[in-house]
Amino acid sequence: MENLLEIIDLHAGIEGKEILHGINLTIRPGEIHAVMGPNGAGKSTLGSVLAGRPDYTVTSGSVLFNGKDLLAMTPEERSWEGLFLSFQYPIEIPGVSITNFMKAAVNARRKARGEQELAPAQFLKLLKEKMALVGMKGEFAKREVNVGFSGGEKKRGEVFQMAMLDPLFSILDETDSGLDVDALKIVADGVNALRSPEKSAVIITHYKHLLELITPDVVHVLKDGRIIATGGMELADRIENDGFEGING
Amino acid sequence: MTDEKDILASAVEKEYSEGFVTDIEQEFVPKGLNEDIIRLISEKKQEPAWLLDFRLEAFRKWKTMTPPTWGHLNRLPALDFQDIIYYAAPKRDEDRPKEIDPALQETFDKLGIPINEREVLAGVKSKVAVDAVFDSVSVNTTFRKTLAEKGIIFCSFSEAVKEHPDLVRKYLATVVPIGDNFYAALNSAVFSDGSFCYIPKGVKCPMDLSSYFRINASGTGQFERTLIIADEGASVSYMEGCTAPMRDENQLHAAVVEIIVEKDADVRYSTVQNWYPGDSKGRGGILNLVTKRGLCRGEGSHLSWTQVETGSAITWKYPSSILMGDNSSSEFYSVALTNNYQQADTGTKMVHIGKNTKSRIVSKGISAGHSENSYRGLVRMNPGASHARNYSQCDSLLIGDKCGAHTFPVIRNANPTAIVEHEATTSRISEDQLFYCTQRGISPEDAVGLIVGGYAREVLSRLPMEFAVEAQKLLSVNLEGSIG
Amino acid sequence: MDRVYIVGIDEVPKRLNLAEMEHLRLTFIVMPGVSAEVPFEIKIGKPGVNLEIFGLYLSPRNEQVRFDFTVRHLVGGAHSSQQFRGIVGGTAKAEFDGLVYVAPDAQKTEAFQENHAILLSEGAVAESRPQLEIYADDVKCSHGATSGYLNPEELFYLRSRGIPEAEARRMQMISFITPVISHLPEELKEQILSRL
Repeated sequence: MENLLEIIDLHAGIEGKEILHGINLTIRPGEIHAVMGPNGAGKSTLGSVLAGRPDYTVTSGSVLFNGKDLLAMTPEERSWEGLFLSFQYPIEIPGVSITNFMKAAVNARRKARGEQELAPAQFLKLLKEKMALVGMKGEFAKREVNVGFSGGEKKRGEVFQMAMLDPLFSILDETDSGLDVDALKIVADGVNALRSPEKSAVIITHYKHLLELITPDVVHVLKDGRIIATGGMELADRIENDGFEGING
Repeated sequence: MTDEKDILASAVEKEYSEGFVTDIEQEFVPKGLNEDIIRLISEKKQEPAWLLDFRLEAFRKWKTMTPPTWGHLNRLPALDFQDIIYYAAPKRDEDRPKEIDPALQETFDKLGIPINEREVLAGVKSKVAVDAVFDSVSVNTTFRKTLAEKGIIFCSFSEAVKEHPDLVRKYLATVVPIGDNFYAALNSAVFSDGSFCYIPKGVKCPMDLSSYFRINASGTGQFERTLIIADEGASVSYMEGCTAPMRDENQLHAAVVEIIVEKDADVRYSTVQNWYPGDSKGRGGILNLVTKRGLCRGEGSHLSWTQVETGSAITWKYPSSILMGDNSSSEFYSVALTNNYQQADTGTKMVHIGKNTKSRIVSKGISAGHSENSYRGLVRMNPGASHARNYSQCDSLLIGDKCGAHTFPVIRNANPTAIVEHEATTSRISEDQLFYCTQRGISPEDAVGLIVGGYAREVLSRLPMEFAVEAQKLLSVNLEGSIG
Repeated sequence: MDRVYIVGIDEVPKRLNLAEMEHLRLTFIVMPGVSAEVPFEIKIGKPGVNLEIFGLYLSPRNEQVRFDFTVRHLVGGAHSSQQFRGIVGGTAKAEFDGLVYVAPDAQKTEAFQENHAILLSEGAVAESRPQLEIYADDVKCSHGATSGYLNPEELFYLRSRGIPEAEARRMQMISFITPVISHLPEELKEQILSRL
């Protein structure tokens, strides 16, 4: 079976400082991987580099996404290819409604794939469907993107956008930070509802709790820019009991 | 995946699509400005003696004045006023004076302006009356009869002079006197055509009124003169649009708009300015030097200004309101975009004379490329303006590091019960915002358009829906090439 | 470094070049009875500078006061803030002219400016001309200006607690000017408050 994502000896950093020191990771379609690690390990860097955040530089290594050279693509091309990054700190865009933002994104994707733009009625139908998935009420669509959103609302908003854009591969960057138990459940439900044999995801997190709700297939531990351990949920249990110190490469 | 060639191709297509020239026979007065030329213009328009005297008085005053240079506009060229043709009009078929020349019809069709009543303004559900001005003359004014049934006068300024001279004479130059400033004096001497609008007592105008100004001939200037009067209890919503051909030389547009609002009347004046802005190197483009002022004369009168300025090489204008009547109020909402080498020095003056008067100013400047964008404003509370209030919010958005954004407000308060509040902030489109959008699959160019539209939303939302959509598109089109 | 200038008594410099990484706090005080023009231009030539300017003007009679302050950020990475507050009565006139200039390439500049005036009587005039001239985009700049009067609700609240009107007004004025004097030495603060 073709690998969906192959990261080969990736070295990357920011402002002249190398943070990832040779990451190797393979993800097959349908798999959910968790990447756990202490602060400063490079978890967010990994997500940012895969999504193509401009500040970051790749010094060596390669990434194949769906058999294509991911690092050669612009951020929007990666998005059209089917990659989604749920931001740890979702950005505010004043004056732009969720509806208009999603319309622009959905139609840009369709155009890139040679498809027709969605007619307004079709789009609204899609919008309503996906809002229901994450338990958002009608008013949500009119709100300005992330403006005045609580931490929980922002994260749920990210899952909503993920549902709207239907990516092949999602990177959930610390999706659980700042969420209470109820919000966490909604996010997990949303993510689980999007699971399928063709789609994959990477969940980047400190804590086991979200993983109990989403159940990853593989768990990796990232420390000091390297993956030092790979296993199943038992790794997550060990971290909870012994901390990251207890895991050695 | 979209081919890079396609992206480039579509970018080039999105030029100033209104930049064409209409091939039509026109008549001109000789180039230059002197009393003979003014007499000639007045004669062509078959004006009465009093109006010719008005023009001549203005011209004599103008000759004693010098062009102002205090604006933050270092690209405003020194104009040779003798090198301009002050009157150009499409030749009228003498046998069929009421028919519209097919070339003109085609021009306005192409621009999406309905100059016949049977057409519907693209996308607009309700009817809009249109006065279409081509160079120095009004080509047609629609729905005049329908409006006349309610006592509403909406026609070209020239028509108004012929058919309602007393009204024109009563109000002309009462808000902008001929000596007010250099360009107002010039306009008063050579004004061509514009719109005249009178709404009688208690009448709410049943449709939006609009004027559309189109420059065509080269070497000319356009000097429109508009006069709007809302009598007691009347109300009207008026929109103004404009475009011009793409040329390497600058052309001057020096207009004067006067608005009188009587007791409890309400006037909403909106402008979507899309004059040719010059090319990406700053060649050509319209010089938009305009005096617009409203007098809220009656108690409880209200005037709102909404402007979206995306074009012109130079924009220099301060739509202003004189709040004379007690309890009168006015708002000024503006989005001014400058890109490439455009420059704008725009804002408003709110002069509070009466008691309990209120004004609100929301200005959103957007600078990109190598442009300069300045807000300049005056809020003055006169000693008699008890319990008057003003609130101003002037924001600047910078796109790129080669442009400038400036704010020069003047606040003068001489009444101890009046309140003035002013805030201004400067910001830019952050890298984070751009990355968030591109990660969602929105191209960088579209992302800038989206973010800028969101930034300007408070102003755009005040335009009639269809114009808001057009204005949003204009912002996107005029931002081409501003990033990367 | 902290400097206080009593306008009319202390000699006020007209120009200052900040070229060392400095934290500089300047306070300008115009007491009742003082009419003056205070022109002042500061050029910030080095990143890391933190400039705070405070200004107070008490002009209850017929004084004519004008501040003409220019702060130029010639390089990036510096922070400046200006806060001016004044109470104008009688037939006095207070003018504030403030230009904040940010040069091209002066990225990461932070510049803030505020001027607030209270008018006590008919005949008093406050004029504000805060100006922003910005040529760099990665900056945080803002200015604000208000002109108004002491809040009557607040006054009523104080009086309803038994505080006599004159005293209540004085309290309001103290509260209004506190942001620009709270950092001053006690004796000076008392001196100022005694003139209210």
